[in-house]
Amino acid sequence: MLEIINQVFAIESKSKKENLSLFNRNIDRIYHECDGLGYHIINPLGKAYKNEMTDVEANIVGEIDENMEIVKVLKPIVYKEEGGMTRLIQKGIVIVE
Amino acid sequence: MKTINFAIDLGTTNSLIANYNDGNIKIYNNPLGLKQTLPSCVAFRGSRTVIGDKALDYLEKDAENVCMLFKRKMGTQETYFIPSKEVEVSPMELSSYILKELKNFVTDETVLDTVVITIPASFDTIQSNATKKAGYLAGFKEVVLLQEPIAACLAYANTSNLDISTSQRWIVYDFGGGTFDVALVEVNDRELKVMDNEGDNFLGGADFDNLIVEKILVPYIEEKCNVDNLWKDIKAKSSNYKGLYFELLKKAEEAKKELSIYEEAEIELDIDVNGNNLFEHIVINREGFEEVIASKVEQTIAFIKKVISQNQLVNSQIERIVLIGGSTYVPLIRKRIKEETGIFVDSSIDPTSAVVEGAAYYAGSKPTAIIKEETEEREVPVGADDNAIDSSLFYEQNTRDMEELITCRVTSDTVVNYRVLRVDGGYDSGIKDIVDAAFSEFVPLLKGKLNRFKIQLLDNGQNVLKTIGSIAINQGSYNVLGQPLPLDICMEIDDMDSSTTRLEKIFAKGSILPLKKKIYKTASKTILQDSKANLIINIIEGKSNGLPSSGLSIGFIEIFGKDLEEDLIKGTDIEIELEITESRDLKINVYLQSCDQEFQNVFSKSERSISINKINMEINSILAEVEDLIKRNNDEENFEYSNRLELIRVGLIEIQIEATLLVDDDVSDQKYQLDDKKRKLIQEFDALTRNKAIANEIEEYAASKSHMEYLINREENERYLPKYTKIINNEKEVINSGNKYLIRSKIKELDLLYNDIIQSSDENFISYFLGLKFSNEYSNQKKADKLIKQGDDAVDKQDYKSLRHIVYALYALLPDYEREKQKRFKDDSKTGLS
Repeated sequence: MLEIINQVFAIESKSKKENLSLFNRNIDRIYHECDGLGYHIINPLGKAYKNEMTDVEANIVGEIDENMEIVKVLKPIVYKEEGGMTRLIQKGIVIVE
Repeated sequence: MKTINFAIDLGTTNSLIANYNDGNIKIYNNPLGLKQTLPSCVAFRGSRTVIGDKALDYLEKDAENVCMLFKRKMGTQETYFIPSKEVEVSPMELSSYILKELKNFVTDETVLDTVVITIPASFDTIQSNATKKAGYLAGFKEVVLLQEPIAACLAYANTSNLDISTSQRWIVYDFGGGTFDVALVEVNDRELKVMDNEGDNFLGGADFDNLIVEKILVPYIEEKCNVDNLWKDIKAKSSNYKGLYFELLKKAEEAKKELSIYEEAEIELDIDVNGNNLFEHIVINREGFEEVIASKVEQTIAFIKKVISQNQLVNSQIERIVLIGGSTYVPLIRKRIKEETGIFVDSSIDPTSAVVEGAAYYAGSKPTAIIKEETEEREVPVGADDNAIDSSLFYEQNTRDMEELITCRVTSDTVVNYRVLRVDGGYDSGIKDIVDAAFSEFVPLLKGKLNRFKIQLLDNGQNVLKTIGSIAINQGSYNVLGQPLPLDICMEIDDMDSSTTRLEKIFAKGSILPLKKKIYKTASKTILQDSKANLIINIIEGKSNGLPSSGLSIGFIEIFGKDLEEDLIKGTDIEIELEITESRDLKINVYLQSCDQEFQNVFSKSERSISINKINMEINSILAEVEDLIKRNNDEENFEYSNRLELIRVGLIEIQIEATLLVDDDVSDQKYQLDDKKRKLIQEFDALTRNKAIANEIEEYAASKSHMEYLINREENERYLPKYTKIINNEKEVINSGNKYLIRSKIKELDLLYNDIIQSSDENFISYFLGLKFSNEYSNQKKADKLIKQGDDAVDKQDYKSLRHIVYALYALLPDYEREKQKRFKDDSKTGLS
């Protein structure tokens, strides 16, 4: 399942890069179905980065300071909800600047 | 006899912890890292201490405050100066940080006093003692050391059940992420002994990743983009290629892993070089990969040869070479060792966990020196003074913010540090100082979830004295400043089973505005272009378990055939996005997949849309039901009840008369008044009848369940038990929900399983047949009689296979109830959504 999520995420990233809005509805629908199955997918792009975030594996470019931001997301963060408990099942792989 | 049972592989780059329990080994997962390994790395940032994965973040940027590979310096006088804290830290102390962090992995044991810690074969007495001391510093009362190659051999011997009767010599080849070791081990029926060892502390799997980038990816990019010196430039601190080096390394690592299994790996490059985008796929084959890493592999083989020759041995005297360490997944390593030495190469054990696994076997057989009484006395050493540490917490339990402040006041002389962790593994504050007996921490929250946290209070030796585990913050559900919904917001959809419509909850009562949700429905009818058929999106505020007409319609969209650019085909998707703003505006966005058409509407309180047609339609559908009930209750002489129904009937008819006098575009507020009256009457009807309807459903559920139980208790149906348990698992919640549709869906699930079981055996068709024998609804009675006769014969002959076919044929002669149901469901009374 994680690999499917990663592939859909890659398709979404490429479409955005090419300004293709053609697949947006389909991609949203797939995420909606994933959500129904308990997979909570987060794209942290543009979020402020803090070292305390243990749900991402960060590759930091430049100096470490308070204003670091996630500038590229290679893999999204995925949480899974099971039996009322949420747990991290994939760390996001990100580039931070 | 109590044994040690716990074991730690305190590695140069990564560490693990495992437990031996009655012959089974359990390797614990890092609660924050999704994996079993903890990087042996500690970072210091001001008053904060970070251990493991997140410490690696600072490695490139703030190297002087990050300590790793300290295992190599164990037992030396050397210390690490930490500029951010202005203190000197010894490798022993750093190791104790790692050991304490590993202790945190273990959540199922209250006492963890004794442990086996592995050390490299090359460690001398001073280094070994330093490791032992690190263990005591981490709070262990008993530390037993074990050499890593021995541990690996133990794991190997225990998993492969070898019968060793004569003395043998094995070589343990340990190629990790950053280090390489080779050890010569003597094995006999009683003991394992390391005879010699060699290694290189700066050779590991990470070198392979770098080589893929340097020798394959960079030359390719240079050629495609016409640039020079890229390898040097991407690694430079002041580089223009921000992040490119890391991105390429990550891709190289993945390709390396793939090439251990497949002949080819594909790397997709989508990068910007000098302002130009490069989008290419590079296929790396195993041969190309092996070519670039060959020199490193040869270096390791030279060490094997050295260790054999310096012990005056020849290759044939070595029984096997046991491979451990993550890098040994690379096939070339196995191949080259075999070619060069001719010795049997064994890669059957998990190379990552072999050391800790072997150490755990050892721990499981090693009696602990701590006597029982002593252990019992210290039954609660971790957090022993739990009650003596007084702490009070302040935080918002419900919030709409994505971050929340947790403040804690601690009254204890021993607690000097704290650490906040989110239980799902997404956040770790690291170990921080407590100043003036209190601390505050902003913690990030997952949207729309219940976020659970735990706080550890630690002493100055970083030992956990108290854990507060009861912190739960609900994101998005309630906030004193937010406006909660007073009633459920629902959508009216078709209910085929009862030929009517029902409500489906979209937003629950109490949810905080603003709200937004996308739902997906299917068209339940075809609407041809220019036809008079319509699709209705009716958004209702009211009780989700009530009748649609009992709620207040707050948004109503009717889409007619004439509005469509193409036919709306039954079964295609309808995407409906609903948004309610803080000022209670309702936005509805409907997208019809088969027409590729979008409809948008914004409703606000001042322009609520009410259709006279709709009022009439709703009254009509209820009236029929009310009249039917009055008749039945009169027959049963239940006059008090039927009188109350009669009042409702009269009220509804009065509204209908008033409504017929209005035109649809009437601008006065009379239609709102009528709608209000209608709703009140229908709510009254709903209240009068709902309990009865629910009671009927519950009765039917109980009947379905008892049929099922009779079947499921038969031995041949045992395999269906898990499915059955799953269905009835939440029956209490469903029955108490007061929602007849939920109960109905449970009945359906039970019935489906019942059918599955029945159809699994031909013999089960006897009872079906007996039921059908006495039906008088057949469309062709003559044909049915003939089939029944054949059925009787089949029963006599015990020919149940034929009986099954006869039952199917008889069924075909019965009226199609489903179709009838759909026919009864008049086209103009349904929403078109299912």
